[in-house]
Amino acid sequence: MEGQVATFLASALLVLGLGTLLSRRNLIWKLLGLNVASGGAALFLVALGHRPQARPPILGWGPGPAADPLPQALVLTAIVIHFATLALSLVYVIFLTEHRHTQDVPKLEREEGG
Amino acid sequence: MRRGAWLATLTLGGLIGWATTGLFPRPPLPPWEAVTSQWGARNAVAAVVLGARLYDTLLEVLVFSMALVGVRWALRPLPQTEGRPPVAESPLLERAADVLLPAIGVFGVYLAASGHLGPGGGFPAGAILGSGLLLLALARGIRALARELPQPLLSRLEYGGLAALIVLGGGSLTLGWRGAWLLVLANLLILAKVSTGAWVVLEHFAAHRGEV
Amino acid sequence: MTTLVLSLLALGLALFALRQRRLLWGVVGVGAHSLALAGVYLSLAAPDVALAEAAIGFGLVTFVYLLALRRAGRLVVAATPTYPLLYQEGERVAGLEWEILKKLAQRLHRDLEVLWVPREEIPRLLAAEEADLAAGGFLPAQSETLPLSRPLVPTRLVEVRVRPGPLGAVAGDRAADALPRGGRRFEDEEALLAALARGGLGGALVDLLRFRDWHLRGKLPEVELSQFPEELSFHFAVAPGEEEAILPALEELLDEMERSGALEDLLRRYLG
Repeated sequence: MEGQVATFLASALLVLGLGTLLSRRNLIWKLLGLNVASGGAALFLVALGHRPQARPPILGWGPGPAADPLPQALVLTAIVIHFATLALSLVYVIFLTEHRHTQDVPKLEREEGG
Repeated sequence: MRRGAWLATLTLGGLIGWATTGLFPRPPLPPWEAVTSQWGARNAVAAVVLGARLYDTLLEVLVFSMALVGVRWALRPLPQTEGRPPVAESPLLERAADVLLPAIGVFGVYLAASGHLGPGGGFPAGAILGSGLLLLALARGIRALARELPQPLLSRLEYGGLAALIVLGGGSLTLGWRGAWLLVLANLLILAKVSTGAWVVLEHFAAHRGEV
Repeated sequence: MTTLVLSLLALGLALFALRQRRLLWGVVGVGAHSLALAGVYLSLAAPDVALAEAAIGFGLVTFVYLLALRRAGRLVVAATPTYPLLYQEGERVAGLEWEILKKLAQRLHRDLEVLWVPREEIPRLLAAEEADLAAGGFLPAQSETLPLSRPLVPTRLVEVRVRPGPLGAVAGDRAADALPRGGRRFEDEEALLAALARGGLGGALVDLLRFRDWHLRGKLPEVELSQFPEELSFHFAVAPGEEEAILPALEELLDEMERSGALEDLLRRYLG
């Protein structure tokens, strides 16, 4: 039950994030959409590792089946990496803003052509 | 165009949701308890991150470092903002930061050092310590804090931590080192790496964009 | 059950955040969404992931976004100087529209910049996206189809008659549309006034606001006035390419100012 709810949430977040990424024109809005989508992807992995009535995969933490530790480990590092890559992409957004004075993607592309 | 994009993502999401609601049964778990105790841990996530999947973790730490190098390098040609007069924060925040920071520091180190026994580990602990520095920065002003902090020590922690982590990982991968000491040490090194990395990002952003 | 509640919360916050118009609210909403997501992780038996998500998604990521969106480029306003609406006072720019534009720029996190141009140039600048907004007593001509804000200040056209002779108007303006045959078009207001003073011109077609300004400045001798019946008003015009980014924010701002009475205060202060 929890796993299914979380899977639905994950796919909804993925749709929401990717839709924002495609439909907004401002770079920071696009990054916010990507942020939500990557949260959805991470949640999807964790939800796949979940079992009904599961407990955390730590020895001695109660009875019952444990959740799969592998996706959790994967997501743990991915979240931290996401922070670093987000900072890097924001740096490039700042760079564009300083040099071209806009964050609007169609405008940036048009100026490049002309 | 825009409607098409939304439709495509909706279809994708629907497919994912449909495909994972019981069509495929979940595979049985590997014997994670045995693996965990073999690495000298009680938290299976720590055993996976620092044991069974050490390659992944080392490479991810490398990606983290590369991204930070990128942040430093790409911001360098941009003009720095002039130091505006720092806004006088409420004394409550300043006092709270003074009281809370040692507690947050101890908590972070505890989380990292006990990461192989319970929830925690170097990555979340580093993020929490970074948030603590952020709190202090909000109280004092980031650039003032940057002058107070010992910069050489920080960069030694950052690069030394990375080098030591690679040595440790190499030893574990080739010479078969394992045990609780390895996990504790690696977690502490990751803590140093991640918290200094978070601080570097905050400091560089503040130097070029002004204080908050 | 907790998973369901937390999931709904996380989804609702993400929806709230991504549907905002102001980036600031979007960033804050995504931060709160991260916190709810950390709760979902906790209920999925993943405490390590929950810790990392709470510390990074809620703390560090939000903060980095906030620092990054302090300046989002320029907001270029193409304008003709019009006394109480938008004008230069020495080095400074002032006026009723300026007060609104300052607030708008703050909301969009952009730096304001004014291009003083002849009225005729404005549609071309907006179409080429060299400017984002048109202001300064902007009366849309009939042939112009720019996206407009709500009417700001009501006005009318008047015929100012000094002596018998041809009429003049500023080229590109609404008044130039109403110019009878034989009328002359001038590049800007100053050229029109100079021609009036020289005596080559019988009168001018202008809007009430500019007429009032000329009158107050003592630029006009005895005149004969006749008003046009058509009711017009000044607007902001937005560049077609920026319509989605700027127009909703502008309307929202004007809505709020109208509701709080700030707009009325401004009108009273600048127009009496």
